[in-house]
Order: sequence, then C-alpha cells, then structure tokens
Amino acid sequence: MRIYSASSEETLRARQLLKDWTGDGFLTKEQYQRLEQETVSDLRTTNIFLRLVLFVFTLISISAAAGLFFAVSGPPEQAIGVFFLIFAAVCYAAAEFAVSQARLYRYGVEEALAACSVGFLSAGILFAFFTGSPYSPKLESLVPAAGAVFSLWIWRRFGLWYAFLAAMMFVVFLPGYWTSSHSAQHLIVAGFYATGLICVAAVRTRHRFDYLDDTYSLVEAFLWLGIYLAMNLKLSPSDLPAQWWSGTRATPEFARPFYWTTWVLIWCLPPIVLTRGIRQKDRFVIAVGAIVSILTFVSNKPYLGWPRHTWDPIILGILLTGVAVFIRRWLARGPSGIRHGFTAARLSAKDKDWMNAGSAVFGLLTPQSITPAAQTGSKDFRFGGGASGGGGATGDF
Amino acid sequence: MYDVHGPKNEDFMTILARLQRWKEQGAISAEQHAHLASLSRGEPFSLFLELNLLLYVGVLAFVAGLGWTVSTWSQQLGDVVILTVLSGFLAACSWYCFSRAPVWSPVETPAPSPIFDYVLYLGSLVWCVELAYLENRFHVLSGQWDLYLLVSAGLFFFLAYRFDNRFVLSLALSSLAGWFGLKISHWPTHQDAEYRQYALLYCVLVGVGGAILQHRSLKPHFFGTYLNIVANVLFLALLSGVFDRQGYGLWFFALLIACTASLAWGLTRRQFAFVAYAAVYGYVGVSSIFLRSVNDNTAVMSYFVFTAIAMLVLLVKIARRFGRPA
Repeated sequence: MRIYSASSEETLRARQLLKDWTGDGFLTKEQYQRLEQETVSDLRTTNIFLRLVLFVFTLISISAAAGLFFAVSGPPEQAIGVFFLIFAAVCYAAAEFAVSQARLYRYGVEEALAACSVGFLSAGILFAFFTGSPYSPKLESLVPAAGAVFSLWIWRRFGLWYAFLAAMMFVVFLPGYWTSSHSAQHLIVAGFYATGLICVAAVRTRHRFDYLDDTYSLVEAFLWLGIYLAMNLKLSPSDLPAQWWSGTRATPEFARPFYWTTWVLIWCLPPIVLTRGIRQKDRFVIAVGAIVSILTFVSNKPYLGWPRHTWDPIILGILLTGVAVFIRRWLARGPSGIRHGFTAARLSAKDKDWMNAGSAVFGLLTPQSITPAAQTGSKDFRFGGGASGGGGATGDF
Repeated sequence: MYDVHGPKNEDFMTILARLQRWKEQGAISAEQHAHLASLSRGEPFSLFLELNLLLYVGVLAFVAGLGWTVSTWSQQLGDVVILTVLSGFLAACSWYCFSRAPVWSPVETPAPSPIFDYVLYLGSLVWCVELAYLENRFHVLSGQWDLYLLVSAGLFFFLAYRFDNRFVLSLALSSLAGWFGLKISHWPTHQDAEYRQYALLYCVLVGVGGAILQHRSLKPHFFGTYLNIVANVLFLALLSGVFDRQGYGLWFFALLIACTASLAWGLTRRQFAFVAYAAVYGYVGVSSIFLRSVNDNTAVMSYFVFTAIAMLVLLVKIARRFGRPA
C-alpha cells in the first residue's frame, strides 16, 4: 500500500540517526564515513526550507493551471465538477509519478500534488453531483466523506502526516449532514476518532522500533487531541466566542447528563493520555497529554459557569512552572539523573538546536501574545503597540 | 498499486539490527553499540524539551495574568501596592540572575541552572509591565513614551549579552524595532515612506551591529538571530517600496540585489532559510511589477503557471546541487 519500500524509509532513518549521533559525538567522523556507505538510499530528499518553498510553488502552479484552464475554456457549470475530478486524477497520477520515477521523498513537489488531488476531488464531487440539484444533506455528506477517505489514502500511501490531519478535519463536517443534534454530532466525531485510535494502537505495536513508529505516534497524538476537543464543549467553535470570557453556563441545547458527562471526561482524558504517553515513552502523546491538561484547567471555569478572574493565568503559570521544576528536580535526584527510564537532561544536540530556534522565535512573539486587550477609559495612551515590536510592554492601563 | 522497490521488506533492517551488524563487523565498539541501541529504544527518554516548554508557557501565563490583573485592578489596589509587587518581582529576578551567573565570557555559555533563562525572561517581561504602568500613571516622559522602548532595548541587549540568553535578545531586537516603528506614528503623512526609511535604518543598525559583534567574537552564536530578523524586515521594507505606484524602480533594483545576496549567502553558508527568503520575497516583488498593469485573468493565470514552473525548475536544480538535508 505504501509507495515507498520499508527498507528505503528505514535506511533514510538510519542515515539521519547516524548524522545525529556523529553530531552528538557518539560516533567519530571516520566511523560516520564508513557507516554512511551502508545507508545509501535512492530516494531524493531535501531540507525543510527548500521543501516548503517547493511545496508553495507547486501549489501556485497547479492552482494557476486550473484557473487558466477554466478562464480559457469557460466550461458549462455542469462540466466544472467533471474537470475538477480530472484534475484530481491528474494531480494524483503526477504525485505517484514524481515518487516512482523521480524518487522524491518529502520534497514538497509530490506533497503539493497529493494535497491538490484531495482538494480537487472534494470540489469535483461537490460540483459534479450537487450543484444545481435539490439539497440532500445525507447525499452531500459524500463530499467530506470522500475527502476523509482520500486523505487517509494519501496518508497511507505517501506517509504525509498532514493528510491524516486533513482526514480528521473532513470528519468534523460529516455529522452536520446526518443530524441536527449537537450532542450527537460531538459523539459521532469522537466515535470516529476513537475507532481510529483503536486501529492505530493495535497496528503500532508492531512498529515500536522502526521508521513507522514516529508516524503512528503523531497520528495517535492527533486522535487523542481530536477526541478531547470533540468532548470539550467549551472549546467547540460554536460555543467559543460567546462563552469563553463571560463564564456563562452551558448552552441549553446540550442535555444536562451529556453536558456533565463531557465535563467528567475532560478531567479523565488528560491523565489517561499522559499515562499512555509515559508508558509508551511517546513524545507526541505526552505533549498532547500536557496540552489537554492545560486546556482542562483553562476551560473548567466556563464549564462550571464560574466567572474568570484576572489572576487565573498567574495561578496557571505558577502551577506549570512548579510542575516543571518539580519533575526536573525529581528526575535529577535519581541515579545518574534517571528515574523509570526518564531523564531531564539533554541527550541530543538536536534538542539544543530546537531550543535555540524556539527561544528566538518565541522571544519575538511574546510581546504580541501577552499584551492584554485594550482597557476602557484610557484610549489616548498605548504602550508597546508598535508596528514592528513592542518589547513585551503591556500597556493600556 | 505498486511499490517503488519491488517486494516489500527485501532489505529491511531496523536500526537495532544495523547496530548489531556494525558491532559484529567491528565498525562500532561494544560500548558504542550499547549506548546507541539504548538511545534508539528511548532509554533513557529525555524530557528536556517538554520541561523547557512547560517553563516557557508558565512564565508567559504568569506575566500575562500579572499584566491583566494590574491593568484591571490598578485603581482598587493602588499605585504603591502594584509598584511594590512589580518591583519585588523585578528585584528577586535580578538578584537570582546576578547572584548565580557565571563569569562573563564572550563565547556561548551554558545557563548555570535549568530555570535560569526563564527567571531572566520573567524579569524582563515584568520590567515591561512596570514601565508601562509607570508611564501610564505618572507620565514621567510626558508623551515621549517610545523612549521607554529604546531604554528597554538597551537593557535587554545588555542582559542578553551578559547572560547569553536568546529569549531576551529577541525581546531586545523587537523592542528596538518597536522604537523605530513607533517613531513613525508621530508623522501624520507619508507613513509608508517613513516606515521604509526607518525599517532600512533598523536593518543597517542591527545588521552592522550584529556583524561587528560577530567579527569581534562577542557571542557570535547570536549572529543567526540578527541575520534572520534583518533579512525579513529588509525584504518587507523593500517590498513595500516595490508595491508603490510611483518611484518603485529603485526599490525593485534594491530587492533584486537583496535577493541575490540572500541566495548567495544561503547557498555558500548552507543556510537554506535565506534561499527561501530570496525565492519567496523575490517572486512576490517581481510578480507585483509584472502584474500591476495586467487586468486580464488569462494573462495573470498564464503568468503564474509559467513563472511558478520556472521557479520550481530553478529550485529543484538548487535542491539537487546544494539542498540535501543538512
């Protein structure tokens, strides 16, 4: 099913690990040069920046080509959908060709082609079968369903993680066609994700130490996050703007048992996810566990209908830093700084690179992210609202 | 459907199997094998990144709450309480950093403790909150409030270089950019032209400053941060000039020079972010020149089809020659 052979992908992984280990000083340059000969892959890769730029320009060229076709030929409305479907087929075939003939691997070009094929397919089905015909919600659910299935196929075939994310997003739109009950919609979405989670959990045990482990890890993390977001009624898009800051009680459309069951669930899920991540030593699942824990703290007051206080973020900040410091110290006090197979120490130079890049970017973003909304009564004065910075100044007192 | 390499799993070998083979071949020692195999199995599993991220989010949430509380409750709490609390935080952070900092060194210095960088960052952000409060309540500089940004930038530069902290360096650079940017608001007209001039001045100042500091080997590892910020500000300023309806020729010429320089720098130093900057900003600038008088949809689409494909060909050639994963 996968377009790349297992040996090619595993070889690429081994090559990357060799490079990392040499950078960390675990292997000598001579050893690296010798072992590198055994990890030669015929797949063509590139670095992240060129990958991104290649993705963008492929996307531009495909979109412009489609636009040009419609501008020149001006097809009748009924034919637009058919042409979209043809574009989808052409893009998909081109993606397959780019991999099988040009041996592209995470190169941007084949990724954009695959991504466009999903977009064209969804648009094609919508235009070909439903434009001009009477509205039939059950039938129109074929559009997101086809998008989800094809995205899943792209994920399986090309191993592109964001195709799985796209499939999850298509699933969000599905229940809206089937039922008007918001509770049922939440349950259906969560049910889909839970089914996916069971499948992934069953499959990934066979790939614990090979190249697919990271892929399944990321997908499992997405599914846990998806289940949590589907269950947290205070984070669903329809509720978010109105209720977030006002702290009002639940919208009346949710039955009380359902509402309070979801409240219990948002408290149960974080420890389950964290436990699973820690037991599996799974970085992505641990990260999602931490994220949903924070989201639970943040959304608890709106759930209970309690008013928010300005000092809530202070308490959250103290809690997070306290937990981080406690875990770090607890791990550091273990023999050789290790407890239960975990350490707070940096083991890879890559972690340092991530930290350096992250601290520079986060440092730039902070002034915008912590500046509070404008206060009433002092409109004539703003501090830190510069067009290109602000230095973190939090004005508007 | 077919697979690229014929039968599945023909030469499949996990990294653990490879390590075993390399040990048997004598390519790696038994100790290396044991160490690398345990790393491959995630033993031990490092939580370094996660704990740092938790600390960062914690500091950010704390300061956001502090700013929100101070701005909301300033009248009820009173100036004395607020300034005492903020100054207390500032003093505690300063004491912690100055008392624990190692002797200054011009080269990269590791933080003396895992939380050191975050305490310094917390202190820097609290400084911003306190300054904003002071000026808003007491109008010390009576309208010349952008000078606070300049003072803050100077302080942050000092702290970044004293304690070797990239968070604070980014704060310094963004404060300085804010100072340049905020100056413009004093001019009611021709803001774009003024903005460009100040942006270019900012680029020259930061770029030259960063280069001098790197040349003198003063925290040379900071140079990448300077360069990335300067490149983006410069390209945005030049693009805003190119987008002008009149007198854009010089800006366009400057954009082409900047793109060439960025491309050359990226390729020679193998810093492919600069290749990406040159490709994206250059394409946007050139496209705006070519398309500004074109109203025909077909011509516009044709332009994008051909130029995007041309860019793809060029970038693939670059990627083949230079762009293997670093």
